[in-house]
Amino acid sequence: MGGVSTSHVLLGLLCAGPQHGYELKKAHDERLPRAKPLAFGQVYATLGRLERDGLVAQTGQDREGGPDRTSYALTDAGRQRLDEWLAAVEPPAPYVSSTLFAKVVVSLLASGAAAATDYLIAQRAAHVARLRELTAVKTARDASAGDVVAADYAIAHLDADLRWLQTTLARVTDLHQEVIT
Amino acid sequence: MKPATLVRLAAGGGRTDALRMAFTAASAVLAAVVLLAAATVGAVPELGDPGDGSAAWNTRYSSPLIAEPGLRPGVVMTLLLLAVPVLFLAGQSIRFGSPARDRRLAALRLAGATPGQAVLLAAAETATAALLGSLLGTGVFLALRVLLDHPEADGRRPLPTDVLPGIAAFVLVLLLVPVLAGLIGAFLLRRVIITPLGVVRRTRSRKPRLWPGVLILAGVFVPFVIRPLGEFLAHAGGSTGRDLSIAGAFVVVLLAVVGVVVGTGWISYTGGRLLHRFGRRPAVLLAGRHLMADPWNGSRTLSALLAALVIGAGVLGYRAYMVTQFAASDAADRLSADGGEGYGAENSFYLNSVDLVRVAVAVGVVVAAAGIMVALAEGIVTRRRTYAALVAAGVPRRVLGESLAWQTLTPLVPAVLVALTVGLSLVRGVAQEATAGGGGTCDGTEAQCADLTSPYWHLSPEVTLAVPVPLGQLAVLGGAALLVMLLVVGVGLIFLRRSTDLDELRIA
Amino acid sequence: MTALLTGTGLYRSYGPTPALRGLDISVAAGEIVAVTGPSGCGKSTLLHCLAGILRTDAGEVRYRDQDIGLWSEAARSRLRRTDFGVLFQFGQLVPELTAAENVALPLLLAGSGRREARKSATLWLGRFGVGDLADQLPGAMSGGQQQRCAVARALVTEPRVLFADEPTGALDVLTGEQVLTEIVHVAREQGTSVVLVTHEPRIAAYADREVALRDGVLDPTGLGLGLGA
Repeated sequence: MGGVSTSHVLLGLLCAGPQHGYELKKAHDERLPRAKPLAFGQVYATLGRLERDGLVAQTGQDREGGPDRTSYALTDAGRQRLDEWLAAVEPPAPYVSSTLFAKVVVSLLASGAAAATDYLIAQRAAHVARLRELTAVKTARDASAGDVVAADYAIAHLDADLRWLQTTLARVTDLHQEVIT
Repeated sequence: MKPATLVRLAAGGGRTDALRMAFTAASAVLAAVVLLAAATVGAVPELGDPGDGSAAWNTRYSSPLIAEPGLRPGVVMTLLLLAVPVLFLAGQSIRFGSPARDRRLAALRLAGATPGQAVLLAAAETATAALLGSLLGTGVFLALRVLLDHPEADGRRPLPTDVLPGIAAFVLVLLLVPVLAGLIGAFLLRRVIITPLGVVRRTRSRKPRLWPGVLILAGVFVPFVIRPLGEFLAHAGGSTGRDLSIAGAFVVVLLAVVGVVVGTGWISYTGGRLLHRFGRRPAVLLAGRHLMADPWNGSRTLSALLAALVIGAGVLGYRAYMVTQFAASDAADRLSADGGEGYGAENSFYLNSVDLVRVAVAVGVVVAAAGIMVALAEGIVTRRRTYAALVAAGVPRRVLGESLAWQTLTPLVPAVLVALTVGLSLVRGVAQEATAGGGGTCDGTEAQCADLTSPYWHLSPEVTLAVPVPLGQLAVLGGAALLVMLLVVGVGLIFLRRSTDLDELRIA
Repeated sequence: MTALLTGTGLYRSYGPTPALRGLDISVAAGEIVAVTGPSGCGKSTLLHCLAGILRTDAGEVRYRDQDIGLWSEAARSRLRRTDFGVLFQFGQLVPELTAAENVALPLLLAGSGRREARKSATLWLGRFGVGDLADQLPGAMSGGQQQRCAVARALVTEPRVLFADEPTGALDVLTGEQVLTEIVHVAREQGTSVVLVTHEPRIAAYADREVALRDGVLDPTGLGLGLGA
């Protein structure tokens, strides 16, 4: 996956009503539980860019809690931009750009089939451990629907990687022949 | 499709298919033996016009049934009638494990076989097995001829083991049995549509109807009211009334016969309901539900068994009547002054003829029981995965065996009792007492004889004896049927043991 | 944690083909262990041996420190009924019995009264979300519903160990996950050990620990080399 567009996610979160930066960060981390947490700096930088483009507008300042308490609201242009983004179909895997794949090929070139196999075995173990972790999150009694959906997403990708690791192991020798000639 | 391909595809199959072919072949053996026996009796040379009485008897045979030309067609008929339960057995065998076979046919359809080829294949498989069976049956028949050939001291034989049916008869039997089997096989597929994607089975899932049950109950209770009713009608309407009551009783009992034969599904279903309602043990619950879910399984062969029992009970009743009749005649003869010999000498001959039918009934019971065994084995084999899973889950095999016994014997015990009662009623509805003697001769002139009380009349005394219910013999018949069924259950248990072998879990 | 169930040096063959070739395994109380490997690696055979369904040719299976290989068939049958629950991919429900009767069966075999057994059965069916199907025959249910009944039947006796052989193999992904999640919940609550046989990494991830098999022995790489997935 290429980087998720933070600006579009923030536009989406503002649909719930005007919010200031801190609230937006909290909402983001809550709604996308397994995603990398947003840094405050990134939130403010993004909001500034959105305001510059007329997609959000300041609605007021609340001085009670401290200095940076500016609330932002979605503008009509912002709503339109968001709708465009939501309706656009993502191109399905336009480039094979996985680190896993690159590593296997490079390892075959640089260190031979045995090293590549060792790497695949170690990588598989790591994948399996992560898969078990995510499954545990999912099967916890207090798991929310958001937790389950997020874990499902990661599990599906790990599962695909695992299948690939498994079949690639069986093909390592063939691939090696091909790479060194 | 080349014939070689046809045979290879028809003969290729798993263990269930092998069992089906074995059962089919076995019933073909029986059919061939019975038909050839009938042909042999038919081939006994005629020595003269049947109308010539004892002059036309073939004195090479000690048994009058074979020797007397007038009786031979009856023997042939009896043998041919025996082919009927064999036919039921064959039908049951051909159907054995057919769901698995039909799935195999569906796979062939997916590979491009036409619907006609699929049916042809099923029929060819059956016909091949039946052909093997009838060849084997011919061998068995020829062996039996040699084994049973025991000439008596005077050179006469009890059985026509010295005649052979004509070549035409052999060829006919060898062709008729496989062709018939193939036709039955194709006929049994009429409810099954084999599509490339699987098998659509138009099953009889409806619950059994009530009316056979009503007929059965009527058949059981009518004998108890025949006599009082007859007496009442005789009192009210004279001889016409009495005849009417007898005819009515006869019709009711006949309907009950139909009820017993058609109503096996009802008996099974009702038995299952009672087991389910009142059973406490898991085995009883399993058996009850099984009977309710599939009351038709093996119902045809159970019908054949019950039909044999009805006939058997009827024959026993008739025999009791004959014995009583002979006793009455003897008593009347002894009482009358001229003291003639009566029928006494020929009594044993008539009884022997009836006994021959008894043997036929016994064979019929055994054959029908074999059919029930096939149905039972089929049920076990098709459910082997479930059974194996139950055993894996810790259900003792004993419980499964017990449920098998309940499921087989529950419909059987009442059905046997009813069949015996109905069969007996059939005869007793007509004759409950035997009368002999009576009448008289007059050696006076016409005028003297006009007065019945004149001394010129020699009146024979009339002897009337009540025909006893042959309870002992009925008990033997019913007991024997139950014993045979217990054997069937025993064989079923062996099948169960093999089918719950936990290797079955590996077969998906 | 001490081991509840152990297999040591397990060897078992079908005719000339060995399915297990000297294998060690242990399962602690309350532990969920996945047994994985490509098809034909001997994982089902291992489950059958551990559950006392099959006898091993060599090696011993100990349950609560008793060698159950020495027990009679009847004794092992009783053990499977009381202490173990068994769950297969499909085809384990008795087709003529209703859902409730199927689930009540183990209780009836253990000597419970009919009413009491039915009550527990309905309770367990409800627990797996099929309480309203108590009076249905298996044939009238979907695959997922049938499997839920089967799970209820395997757990109704509150076994100490549940043996599950590809329990989600015949189910769609979502239904399979729901069934497994329910099994995990019950196992965690009751401290039931689970031996879960599967060839899918995604399913094996429901376990605390994975034991990979290859050609009848343990495979430390877990990859089923040479046999493909």
